This record gives sequence, structure tokens and C-alpha cells, in this order.
Amino acid sequence: MSERQVVPALIRRALNELIRVPGAAIPGVLAPTIFMLGLTAVFGQVTHLPGFEGVDQYIAFVLPVGLLQGAGFTGAATGVNMARDIEQGWFDRLLLAPVSRPMLLAGIVGSAALRALIPTTTLVLVGIAFGVKFPSLAEIFIAASLVMILAASTACWGAIIALKFRTQQAAPLMQIGSFVAVLFTAAYAPMEMLKPWMHAIATVNPVNYILAGVRQGFIGEVTWSDTWPAYAAGLGLLAVLATFAVRGMRRTGQ
Amino acid sequence: MLAIQANGLERAFKGGIKAVDGIDLAIEQGEIYGFLGPNGAGKTTTVRMLVTLLLPTGGSATVAGHDVATEAGAVRRRIGVALQEAALDALMTGNELMILQATLQGMKADAAKKRCGELIERVGLTDAGDRRVGGYSGGMKRRLDLAMALVHSPSVLFLDEPTTGLDPTSRFTLWQEVSRLREEGTTVFLTTQYLEEADQLADRVGIIADGKIVAEGTPEALKRESGANHIEVILLEGSDPAAATAALSSLGELMEASGKHDVSIRLREPGIGVADAVRVLDDAGLEVAEIELVKPSLDDVFMEKTGHRLEGSGDGES
Amino acid sequence: MALARRALLVTLRRPQFLAPLLIFPTLLLAVNTGGLSQATALPGFPTIDGQPPAFFDFQIAAAMSQSLLLGGVGTGIAVALELEMGFFERLVAAPIPRVSIVFGRLLAAAVIACFQLSWFVLLGLVFGSGIHDGIPGLLIVCGIGALAGIGFAGIGVTLALRAGNASTVQGFFPLVFVILFLSSAFFPEALLSSPADVIAHYNPLSYVANGMRAPIIGYGGTRAVLEGFAAAFGLAVLFAATATHALHGRLRAG
Repeated sequence: MSERQVVPALIRRALNELIRVPGAAIPGVLAPTIFMLGLTAVFGQVTHLPGFEGVDQYIAFVLPVGLLQGAGFTGAATGVNMARDIEQGWFDRLLLAPVSRPMLLAGIVGSAALRALIPTTTLVLVGIAFGVKFPSLAEIFIAASLVMILAASTACWGAIIALKFRTQQAAPLMQIGSFVAVLFTAAYAPMEMLKPWMHAIATVNPVNYILAGVRQGFIGEVTWSDTWPAYAAGLGLLAVLATFAVRGMRRTGQ
Repeated sequence: MLAIQANGLERAFKGGIKAVDGIDLAIEQGEIYGFLGPNGAGKTTTVRMLVTLLLPTGGSATVAGHDVATEAGAVRRRIGVALQEAALDALMTGNELMILQATLQGMKADAAKKRCGELIERVGLTDAGDRRVGGYSGGMKRRLDLAMALVHSPSVLFLDEPTTGLDPTSRFTLWQEVSRLREEGTTVFLTTQYLEEADQLADRVGIIADGKIVAEGTPEALKRESGANHIEVILLEGSDPAAATAALSSLGELMEASGKHDVSIRLREPGIGVADAVRVLDDAGLEVAEIELVKPSLDDVFMEKTGHRLEGSGDGES
Repeated sequence: MALARRALLVTLRRPQFLAPLLIFPTLLLAVNTGGLSQATALPGFPTIDGQPPAFFDFQIAAAMSQSLLLGGVGTGIAVALELEMGFFERLVAAPIPRVSIVFGRLLAAAVIACFQLSWFVLLGLVFGSGIHDGIPGLLIVCGIGALAGIGFAGIGVTLALRAGNASTVQGFFPLVFVILFLSSAFFPEALLSSPADVIAHYNPLSYVANGMRAPIIGYGGTRAVLEGFAAAFGLAVLFAATATHALHGRLRAG
């Protein structure tokens, strides 16, 4: 028997909701879009400050933040759906299957990675409509793959919380996790302009490196020195959170 | 090899409360075992341990020859489970859920499709197969759940309160399905709050109370063990209940009469029947409006073993 | 009064409702300050005796405004849940003036607003320069904030009574950020991008935020305070009226 076919089956099931519930995708798209446009409207003038050299438009600077927020919201939503599945007993059905726990997790977080492409596409199109330069294929590939890795990571975070608390009421914890991870970075301004305490947090926050990797396509040129740390941080974060999530699945019911 | 075996199985939760407190089980292959108990007795906790959803905190258990704690994967491949809530994704159709379940069980696409079609037909859902489950009735959901549990032809099937909350017709349909499984040789572990269900379906019954099995045997043996038949009498107006009691006391021991009966007597021997009672009452010149021979039920067994009645104890987590 | 006390107790006994009202604005306060503290150097940023205020002090009123808006959504959700659970009908059946159902909630919102404001004042004392205008300044902040809190709660109650379910009220959540970003709560009106600056000029939240900010940083004077009181009072009266109207509408509809 092939366990691998479980992953696409579970992804299909998770994506069903988007296809069959009208408007299910809207909140995940709306929130980061409002945030991106709002930040641009409010703080747009800061590009005149020294430190923002090479940044013509603030929207191009915060578009990557919006992309990562979209990934974060998607991951948190996956966690909330998992908590709902636990509450309603569906998750027991998955646990009863003779499938390895990492495969089950892959099916669940794989859907988050794919789903994150919806806000990604929307935000990039909105950004282009507001004057952001059209990214190259390589830039799009790097941005999309990093967004998917972050969405899978935050979905693992959501799964850890869902498995621990077993209720949808834990949703704020899932959201706050991704909110903090994405915004306690060089989200609003380049690293050298951050307050020292924020600089210190951003330096140790893996999402900051993912942000730098996504941002390079929209501000300046793609460089190897911004690319490899982004993938290393993203895959490292995913590996750590996935390990904890699988452990949580194994512990379920103990 | 036994289909299900448990030795001193225990499950303690936080605070040391033992939901299951040293259960022994020895269930043969092909047997239908009814597990009876009120809410909170430990039925569901026992099932969750046997199906590998909960680790035991003491004792051991094997299902289909594999240890539930150390060989969970092997157990999962050999069991089918329909849990209490019939957890189904309301957005998916019956057919889609069947295929998903088959995929989770590792079946190949062609074999899965064929088997799912057969099972959907068997549980009478062919016409509803392409409809979303959100629109199914309670009975349809339970039947689909049963079909999903059977998709990989498990050798041991666990049904946790399969008919709780169903109307009598749906309940009867499900009973027919379980009876068919018996004919096919599937071992069924059935928890229920309904005595009639256990009486109708189970080869053997175990009664659980406060985490311990307090009685076990075939329904008939348990009922026999529980005590003798009794006779209940309603006299015609003008007949003296005291005289009737005196006359009937030759047949057995006086019981406390319920509201509607004038006299209740627990019969001394199984051979004594209604004819004997009518005769002694007639000899005493007493006229009878109604007379009834009552045999012990599983509820009486339950009452005797646990101190309270099972039926009407309500639905809910157990 | 009894209904106000009940609404207050219920809110205080459910920290999961109260905590997000403080946590999210606090986190955003940290993010804004940590990222954009140098924004005060922009030409056009208000100065006091030739020096711009610390960006943290400037942002406290923004966090307060955000918290009060979230409080309005929270009140709306609480009322909608009462409608869903049938508790509302019990209140209607009670021998009390029916408008007290609405006014009890609004009064509780005013008290909760003071709790929320105190939290941010405390943050200002610990991490910022405190309140420039001392105790009278604190009273001004609480006065404007409590009135605005009543107004935002009025919006929430109106939505809840019209919609009748919590998920619809929850759906208005992104609007909180639209209102915030299209005001001068986060940044001076003169530095907002067009057309946000024009909208902010007519957005009462701008005046509420500036009114609360005036005594904190000592900028804007009596005019900002009076405009703040006027805007907050207007919001309170307007949305208490719409809430009462919505109540009558619901009672008529049965």
C-alpha cells in the first residue's frame, strides 16, 4: 500500500471547503490586503527617511509583509480547522488510519501551503495595480515557495496548539503566534533603522530571513546571500515545528 | 487466537481517577460482544483504548492478535471503528468520504472504487451517494459511518453506541446490518445503552459499572442468574388483596407491588406458571381482572448488579 | 445599573474576551514603535519646543483607539451570542425598561474602556514619558475614551441587533483596521498619503485619537481636546441612538 496517496487525498478534502463554501477564502485575503494598503496609506512617507535608499514605494516594501501575513493567517486557519475536526471527532478517524503520523501531518499542512497561494496571488495583483513592479518568474517562484514554507510552518504551529488545547477557542493563540513572528522583523523598516530591542528580536527571528528572501524580488535584485538564509530559516522552522506537531499527534490520547 | 483480549486493563486520568479499573476480556473470533453500561461507566474509554486512540495506564490488551500499545499500526489495519459521533465532513458526499476512507486504509484506487460501490449499496445509500453528507438524516449518517468502517474488510469491528439517538426504524435497519456481519464471521464489539439492542444482537454481554465489569455471560444465562419469574395480579373490584396475598404465598415470596398491581409474587420454582396462580386464587374465591407472568430482563440483571436501572439514564458521554 | 454590572462582570470573568482587546494593540504598539521610531524626523511631524515627541508616546493614543474599536466589536459579539443563546429574550421578558438592555451594555463599555485606557497609560508610564498633563490629562483621556468606547460599543450593539448572529458581527472585524488606517490615529494627518489624508480629516476617530493624544504628549492644546470630546460625544449619542433604534426594530419584529 502507498501511504503517499494519503497526502493528496487529505489536501483535496481541506481544499473542498474553499470550493464548496462561498466566501470561505475571503477573510484570509481581506485581512492582509487591508493591512498592506493601510500601512502604505499611513506610513508611506517614511521612504523619505535616510535608510530607505533604493525604496521608491512603501507598498513594494510592505507587500512581502502582506504575503507572509497571508501565509500566517492561512496557517492559523488550518489550526482552527484542525481544532474543529478534533472537537467533532473527525480527527479520531484520521488517527485510526494505519498511516504514519508524519504523513497525516503532511496532508494537513500541505493544504495550508497550497491555500496560501490564494492571498499571495491576490496581494501581488493588488500591489501591481498600485504600481509595484512586475516580478520576474524567478522572483515569483522564490516568493511563492517561501510563502508556502511559512504557511506550512504556521499550520504546524496551529496543529501544536490545536492538539494541546483541543478546542477552537484556542484560535487567538494560533493567530498571535504568526502575528508576532511576521511583525517582529524588519517588516516596517530596514534592519538598520529598527530600535535596538527590535533589531535584536529580528536577528534571531527566522521569519525575518524569510521576509528578506521574499522582499528581494520586490525591492532590488535577487541575490544568493538573501536567498539561501531564507530557505535555511524557513525549512529549519518547518522542521522544528513539524517535529513538535508530530509529537503532539503521537501524544494525543495519552 | 482470541479476537480481543484484555488483562487488567486500566486507564487513569489526571487526579488519579480510574475511568477503567482492571478489565479482563476474552472475545472469540466471530462473536458479537455487547458492552453495556450507563453514562460515565467507562464504556467509551475502554473502546478508545482497544482501538488505539488512548494508551492504557495499566494492564494490557490485544486486538486481532496485536498489542494495542506497542503494535498500534497493526491493530489499526485490522479493525473498523464507528465512533459515537459519526464524525463526517458535512461538505463531502457519501461516495467521496468512502473513497477517502479507503485511501486512508491504503487501498488501491480500482479496488477502493469497487468495494465502496458495494458497501454504499449494501447500506442503502446508492441514491444518496453523490449528495453532501450535511443533508443526510441521522440514520443515513450512521449507515455511512458503518460502511466506512467496513471498507477494508476488518476482522474486528467496534461500534460505539451505533444507534443512540436514532428512530426505531433506523435502529432496526442497523441491527439487520450487524446481524449480517455475524453471518460473515466478523467479530463485533458493540457498546450500547439499550438493553434490547444487546439482547437482540449480542452473543455475550458484559456489564460495566464504575470502570469494572460486574457481570458477563450470554443474555439468557445472565437473566437466569438474575432470579426467578414473577407473577403480577390485578384483582376485580371487591376482591380482598390480603386474601389474594395469602393464597398466592404458597407459590412464592411476596414482592413489593407496583402502583397498578394489587399483588406481586416471586415464584419459587421455574415450573410454576399462570395456571397455578389462577387455580389458587379461584380456590380462595377471588376474581382476577388481569394476571401476568413476568420473566427477568437484562434491566433486572443490571439492577441487581449495579443497584440502578439502565434504561432512561439518558444519552451522552460514557 | 444591574444590567451594566452584569455585562461588566461577564466581561471581566472571561479573560479570553478581554485579553485580545489589550494584547493585539499592545503588540502593534511595540511593532510600530520598534520599526518606525525614526519617523518623527520626517518634515511635518509635530514638534513641541522644536523637538518631536517620542514615537512611542505618539503611538499610545493609536493603541488606545484600536483597543476601543476592538472593544466595540467585542460588545457586539457578546450581544449577538446572547441573542443566539436566548438570554436576550429573558431580558426582554423581565419587568425592566427595555432601553436599559442597550444602555446597560453601553455603560459597561464605558467602564471597560477606562480599564483598557489605564493599561496603555501604565505602559506609557513604564516605557514612555508618562502623561504630559498629569492627572487632569488622565481625566481627559478617560473622558474622551469612555465616550468613544460607548460610541463603538453602540456600533457593535447595533450590528448585533440587526444581524442576530455572532459570525456576522465577527465579519465586520476587518473594518476596524480600515477605520484605523483611514484616520490620523497612527500618523499625523499631514503625513498620510492621499486619499487617506482627506478621509482622515472627516473621520471622527482622528479627532478622538488626537484628543486623547493631546494631554499625553502635550501637543494640540485645548482645541484638540475639545474636538476630541465633541467627536467622542457625537459618536456616543449617534450610536446609542442607532442601537436603541435597532432594539426597537428587533422587538417589533419579535
